[in-house]
Amino acid sequence: MTTEARHPHLLKLVDPPIIVGHRCISCERIAFPPDPYGCEKCGSPADNFENWDLEARGSVRAVATVHRHHRPAPITPFTVAVIELVGGPVVKAIVEGDDVVVGSSVEGFLAPEDKDDAGKVIVDLRFRIIQ
Amino acid sequence: MTAPSFLSTRPVFVVGIGLHRYQRRSDQTYVSLGLTAVREALTDAGVHWTDVDAAYTGTALLGMGASRIMLSRLGATGIPMTQVENASASGSSSVAQACLEVASGRSDVVVALGVDKPRGGLGAAPGEAGIPNLEAGSIVPFTHFALLASEYMNLHAVTDEQVAKVAVKNHRNGSQNPFAQRQKVRTLDEVLAEPISGSLTRLQCCPVGEGAAAVIIASEDGIDRLGIDRSRAMQVVSSATKTEALYAEGVGIDAALTAETGTAAFEEAGLEPSDLDVLEVHDAFAIEELLYAEALGLCKPGEAATRVESGDFDIGGSCAFSPSGGLLAMGHPIGPTGVGQIAEVVRQLRGEAGSRQQPNARVGMAHMVGIGAVCVVHILRKP
Repeated sequence: MTTEARHPHLLKLVDPPIIVGHRCISCERIAFPPDPYGCEKCGSPADNFENWDLEARGSVRAVATVHRHHRPAPITPFTVAVIELVGGPVVKAIVEGDDVVVGSSVEGFLAPEDKDDAGKVIVDLRFRIIQ
Repeated sequence: MTAPSFLSTRPVFVVGIGLHRYQRRSDQTYVSLGLTAVREALTDAGVHWTDVDAAYTGTALLGMGASRIMLSRLGATGIPMTQVENASASGSSSVAQACLEVASGRSDVVVALGVDKPRGGLGAAPGEAGIPNLEAGSIVPFTHFALLASEYMNLHAVTDEQVAKVAVKNHRNGSQNPFAQRQKVRTLDEVLAEPISGSLTRLQCCPVGEGAAAVIIASEDGIDRLGIDRSRAMQVVSSATKTEALYAEGVGIDAALTAETGTAAFEEAGLEPSDLDVLEVHDAFAIEELLYAEALGLCKPGEAATRVESGDFDIGGSCAFSPSGGLLAMGHPIGPTGVGQIAEVVRQLRGEAGSRQQPNARVGMAHMVGIGAVCVVHILRKP
């Protein structure tokens, strides 16, 4: 059975998963998501970027449970959080568990989201409290 | 030293205002909505369509070429017409362009109009930029603001009830406004019912319907030549537009951008936050009034919720926030919203706001933010 990330160039499917950002070689800014165009700090084009691995670990800055959603997925209720990664950038992602509050230490894990026609499992990054 | 404002070189005034009530999507065409607002603005100013030198139409949803098919029904005079799109601030930017055109000396009388009808989605370009993100699809605008609410409420120990009181106030203001989409007084319990996302409930989220708003911008030459009533002409003393700069990781962009744009507007006008009597703020979601009250310097960080509770931001308080009902109650039909704010500020400065009149209003601000992110702020003063 093969597995693929919903956004393949944002994640490395290892255990624990790695989030892929970019680092600008000119100004050393580390950013997520990795950008295909250019640096918001110094204006360098994206060919001046290198991929930058970010640990999927951080602390929760904000959290909200969504009761109504304008799209078919995710199915409500689900909970999203703003997470300050230990490596600097801030990401927003779905969190699992009712115990996540502002200040919680969380870690990323790969959750199966879907299966395509060939049986390939599509996974996405979610976060949960570090036990 | 900041450069002298272009608005002080050749002063500009709002001389006419007109609206079509904001409402749920109906069968009424945008042409009919827009013409209602422009005809009312012309009548209010006491000028004829043939006196108008140019028109700007703020619209984000109608598609290309909206202006002429509408405005030519006032007479196909052949004047320059331009659509202005700047997300939620489209109407604000049409006012900014009209002010710039009059201040430049090219025109004496310009119409700034906002008109829109809701479609299936917003069709926002950033989603098409080819920059995938982890949260794609799970965070729509109300959840973006629910997350900001979570962070703010945790930082300042503010409760759900305190945030909801913003909506209670703005629904009360909207109940006095015949142009508001929502015209019902709501209790705290009603506002706290029907959760949408995080602490935000249905009545703490703005309705996106349809409508139109128009203002007529004129120079002193135009006012004199056309014999416009000077006592009802309110001066635009600043027009500031900024886009999101690079802020520290995790800083709320909406508040940081508002702080920068507000500072630029106050500097241009030579005024202080404490000078404001009326503030029409981008309260698409209740939490935003608290964030922007602090970002614009109306109170210290963490103080806004207690200021709302004390009645300080009520009509009759030190500064009336969103006396029109704001986006929460008057509504947010996108293109019209920023123009409607200017109409409300002018009505307040003229002392013509009836039961929702802020006493002795002399200085007012209109503030919009939009996807992108953009922020547009105007300050008006009673001469």
